[in-house]
Formats: sequence, structure tokens, C-alpha cells
Amino acid sequence: MTDDAPLTPSQEDQALAAELALGLLDGPEAAAATARMSTDADFARIVHDWYERMAGMAEALTPVMAPARARQAIRERLGHINAPLANDPTERRAWWRGPLVALTGVLAVAATAAFLWLPGLQQPAAPGYQAQLSTQDQALRVAARIDGRDMEIALESGAAPEGRDWEIWWVEPDGSAPVSIGLVPRDGSLRMTLPDGLDPSADIQIALSDEPAGGSPTGQATGPVVAIAPLTSL
Amino acid sequence: MTDARRSELETLIARTAMGDRDAFDRLYDATSAKLHAVCLSVLKDRPEAEETLQEVYIRVWQSAARYASNGLSPMTWLITIARNRSIDKLRARGSRPVTAPEDAAAFVACSAPGPESATIMAQERRMLDDCLARLAEAQAGAVRAVYLEGVSYADLAAREGLPINTVRSWLRRSLLRLKDCVSQ
Repeated sequence: MTDDAPLTPSQEDQALAAELALGLLDGPEAAAATARMSTDADFARIVHDWYERMAGMAEALTPVMAPARARQAIRERLGHINAPLANDPTERRAWWRGPLVALTGVLAVAATAAFLWLPGLQQPAAPGYQAQLSTQDQALRVAARIDGRDMEIALESGAAPEGRDWEIWWVEPDGSAPVSIGLVPRDGSLRMTLPDGLDPSADIQIALSDEPAGGSPTGQATGPVVAIAPLTSL
Repeated sequence: MTDARRSELETLIARTAMGDRDAFDRLYDATSAKLHAVCLSVLKDRPEAEETLQEVYIRVWQSAARYASNGLSPMTWLITIARNRSIDKLRARGSRPVTAPEDAAAFVACSAPGPESATIMAQERRMLDDCLARLAEAQAGAVRAVYLEGVSYADLAAREGLPINTVRSWLRRSLLRLKDCVSQ
């Protein structure tokens, strides 16, 4: 399995540096090697080169958008905002859904439609796209809308069954692995900023797949695609 | 990673270090999907990865001021924090002895690489896939599992049915071969 020639001192340093960078050393060995970095600049450089080298593997991973609540939680934990939030993403739903519940269904539907479709409600016009995703029987209907780099996903009907979630995928035309951009909210809408590398265009398709609650455990779609639609320019 | 993107991320980290919340938000927008993928790759559990991602950005906010002196490229620094935090979580799951990677080593100051060395490292990264493909399948698989899934020597030994020391010397040689290949 191995050739038996002992490593040279320089190879020993390389191997030790790699093990430290990879987290393979146990406590005392890791502590000793970390301490050596402070006094031996060459060794520190070698360890950092291993970090750089190996990071290429992580950079090649398919990005997976975290749910919007993760960012909210970070802001709360750092005290950047108070909970509940002044700009809770669900609040916009509340103003039209909450108070209008007492009114007729027709009015509520009209308000919803206005909220979803009137352009430029919040921002000046930017290059915009939309996609209307639905199953053939229209039981599931999801509207996606992009303004600049802001994306909004709204569930119009058909929340996922208990224990399941609809996961949203960004599908490039080149056949590369779809990128998860989050989960369809169980009601109301989700707002997010598109991650780097995802550039809206009419070549992009948005797909929904049926996944276990919380989304695909692997980062790739595991369940059937239940709806797919191209982005169309607004 | 282009130079423009690198310097944009460096600027965002530097402004985060000064308490600029907008810069921190933009850093999150630009990098969180990738770091989330790193957490998921190690932890293979959505809720735990999401919780870990939060801890990663809290650490980034708190330690951004120490970034400038460590000489790592911005994505490598962020990925290293995400990977190490995920591995800490992974190893805390079992009751097996914790070989804590922490991320102390990623914070040790190091002379910043000159432009030449930054270029060499960028090139080595591009070679990495090719060079992994040139290793024997078992070797490449072990290197990937160690880096992307946080597999330890004890895990590898159990998987291969070999003593830890044998596995260790085998993996060390695999890593040296990989380095010789990418830096040739």
C-alpha cells in the first residue's frame, strides 16, 4: 500500500502541515504544530498553502442557498436587529393578509394580486424576470419574481404535505447541477438576494422538487420535479 | 477566483472589521451559499448545517479584524472557518475522542503571499482536480473524504480495516504525491 522509504525532513514538514490544515492531528499534536507556526514562518507558510490548495475542493461544491431565516438569526444573535424584526420578511404578508381577513375573499385576492404583480412597488424598475410555476392540475402554484438581484418566491396555493418541502432550484441551460436557492415558504412569500454566480436571464429555468422537510439532505434534488418554468422578462 | 472578486471580498471583510453592517450583509450575500454547501458536505444534515452557518458568520463578524494579517485569500479563510466549525460539530456528535481541528491555525499570522506566490496558488488550485484524478481512486477518495466530509484517521482505518498508523502513512504519501503534482 505504501512505499517504505522514510520521508525526508522537508517531506515530513509538508505532511505535518497538510495534516494540521486538514484537522487530522489529535489535540496535543495539533497544539504543538499550531505553536510551531508562530515561531517558524516557513512552516506557517506551508500550512497556509495547504489551506489554499485544498480550498479548491470546497470552491467546486455546488452552492446551496441557506433559508432566509439563517440570516435573520445571525442578525438577531449579533444584536443588529431586535426580534421580532422591524423588517420581518413575513410582515409584508401580514399587512395584506392579516387586516383584510375580515373583508371579502375577492378583496383579499385583489390585494394579493396587486402585491405580486404591480411592478416597482418597492424599488425603481430594474431588469426584471418572472416565472409562474404550477402543476398540471393547478393544485400547486408558485410565483417567482426577480428585480435586479432580489428574488421573491410566493406560494399561491398548494403547500407541501406535512414532513415534506418544495425545494426551489436554479437550472442553468448548460446542464450543470441545479443550484438550490431555498424552500418554498409554507405560506406567504420569501425574499432573498441571489448569490454570486446566479445571473438571471431568459435561459434560466426555475424548478420545484418534492423533498423531505428542510430540503434535500444531499444538496442535490432527490425527489421528483413537480413544476418547472423558464424565467421570462418582465 | 478573479482578482476583482478577491479584492471585493477583501474590502468587504475589512469594512466588516470596522463594524460596517452593510458590508457584512453583502459578504453574506456573496459567500453564504458556498459556505452553506461546505457545512452540508461535512454534516449532511440541513438543520445542523444551517445552525453551523450562523455560527460561522458570527465568528466572521467577531474576527474580521484578524483577517488582514493571516495572509489567506478571503474565500480560503471563510471556507476554512466553515469547514473547521462543521468538523467540530461532526466530532462532537459521537462520543469518540475529539481531535479538535478548531481554526486556530487559520488565524496564525503569516506573511502575506506576494503576487507571485498568489498566482502559483491559484494555478495549483486549477490543477487540483486533474491531480486528484491522477491519484489511485482510493487515495483520491480518501483525500476528498477527509477534506469534504471531515473523515478522520480513525474513520479511514475502520473503513479500510487497517491499523491507524498504516492508514496515516498511506494518506501522508497521498498528500505529498498530490502536492508534487499540483506544484510541478
